[in-house]
Amino acid sequence: MKRSTQIGLAAAGIVLVATTLSLIGGGDEEESLVYNSLAECRAAGQLSATQCEQRFNEASANHLRDAKKFSSSSACETEYGAGSCRAGTWNNAQVFIPALAGIMLARSLAQGGGVAQPLLPPTQQACPPGSAAPECQQARSSGSSSSGASYGGGSRARAYSTTSGDRVVARSGGGAGSATTRSVSSRGGFGSSARSFSSSSS
Amino acid sequence: MRRIVLPPRPDWPEQVERLGFGFHSPDGAPYWSESAAYAFSLEQIERDIEAPTGEIEQLCFAFIDRALASEAILTRLAIPQAQWSFIAESWKRGDRNLYGRLDFAYDGKGPARLLEYNADTPTALLEASVVQWDWLEQAMARGALPKGCDQFNSIHERLVAAFAGLRQPSPFRLHLACVADSAEDRGTVDYLLDCAVQAGLDARFTEIEEIGLLSDGGFCDGANQPIETLFKLYPWEWLFRERYAPNLATARCQFVEPPWKALLSNKGLLAYLWEMEPGHPNLLPAFFEGDKRCATLGPSHVRKPIYSREGANVALVDRGAVVHSDDGPYGAEGFILQQTAPIPAFDGAYPVLGSWLVASQACGLGIREDDTPITGNLSRFVPHYIAP
Repeated sequence: MKRSTQIGLAAAGIVLVATTLSLIGGGDEEESLVYNSLAECRAAGQLSATQCEQRFNEASANHLRDAKKFSSSSACETEYGAGSCRAGTWNNAQVFIPALAGIMLARSLAQGGGVAQPLLPPTQQACPPGSAAPECQQARSSGSSSSGASYGGGSRARAYSTTSGDRVVARSGGGAGSATTRSVSSRGGFGSSARSFSSSSS
Repeated sequence: MRRIVLPPRPDWPEQVERLGFGFHSPDGAPYWSESAAYAFSLEQIERDIEAPTGEIEQLCFAFIDRALASEAILTRLAIPQAQWSFIAESWKRGDRNLYGRLDFAYDGKGPARLLEYNADTPTALLEASVVQWDWLEQAMARGALPKGCDQFNSIHERLVAAFAGLRQPSPFRLHLACVADSAEDRGTVDYLLDCAVQAGLDARFTEIEEIGLLSDGGFCDGANQPIETLFKLYPWEWLFRERYAPNLATARCQFVEPPWKALLSNKGLLAYLWEMEPGHPNLLPAFFEGDKRCATLGPSHVRKPIYSREGANVALVDRGAVVHSDDGPYGAEGFILQQTAPIPAFDGAYPVLGSWLVASQACGLGIREDDTPITGNLSRFVPHYIAP
């Protein structure tokens, strides 16, 4: 396919939960497309209990198949962080893979949710140990899949990675930034050319 | 490549407005036009548009290396000398670029021929990325087009991915700026801001005119927030000539598009590409005005100022006589002459194919057609699809 699989959300491994659905869909700002656990999926009430189970089963199956496999726990943790890996069996061999941290739905809820994609903990490269980025702290403190960190209250972000190595940040509200007061020495040094031309773009 | 006449959706203005596309009928004349669409085969898209787009981008990179080693070229491109090292540093550092649009003449049979490269401030983005995508989905859903049609258009997905990768560590704070009084530019920036937010960035809009200079030498937005990364829908050739030009290199700001795009967003590029690859099937012969090789173009050619937007000051010369010209304020920095491209007429309309690059990867197509062979700011955007 030569066109985007979805506009507005979850494109290219990056999903923004809640705030931008209005770009394409019905503008339901409370929709959540990332669930950290089966319990959380059920509690959210957006999918039926059966649908939640189905989506998690799909994601778990794809998870073992698609996740990067390591021969030792330490090699896996070097890439994904301490406590982020689990053992599994693949082709009759013991392997270590990053644990399932959640699922991401490929389509909007209005379209039935679509196939679920497994989400992994963020890589060490994306979230280095001690990173102050809130989405990294949230990801590390939540640990592996079983903790079921609540998601959807306040302005919170959590980092993940996909099995293809893309970085994903899911957030439930707009980004907050602190404004600091600094001394401004001048203003308005750009823009003068625009007044003599009709268009600044092409 | 065929031009297919289709009935527009009765409620098309509401349908496109719902996507945030507010400038569909500037001055009352519809700019978004879905009473026709262009149909392509997959082979036409991949062989004739996608592949040459990637190839020309690589050729442009080779040109940048060449230009940065040549004072003569930088001078010819009218790049202020004070900015040469600023541009060179951005290229050496490998500053990432976000997007660009190559405009081609194409008739579905011969090779697509490059008309120009909008490398710095391309627009007509939302309509290509989102509006025509949604149009196709709806056309297939209601049976106006067969299911299984496709479109050369992963622009949206790639923009979101590209924003996240513009700078490390990511996510980061990004300011996006354009002029205060252009609804069209603001629409483009709002859409890009949306993509940046989806990429996890802390994205904020600022008017280009309200940018300030902090006492520490950095730029700031209207709320005095430092600007560390700035997407600007505002041409480099203007930034280079305004009051803050001397601060560009010292403001510790990463710009998108990066300064090296100034070397490509210049019609002089067309003359240099032809010099590097004479006879390239996707290029048109082009020379700087005054170059004696202009004589080889014959009496029919197009005269373009090296800085020009939306067709302004472009003149079409046929057998020595100016048959069409578009007035405008450009031209002080010189002109190039380019062989007239055979822009084919489809039902009396002249389509120009805008081939989009995101992070230097060919990923989409947006077609504008006009009633004259020069695509100006009164052209219409017409959707396309790939027939199954």
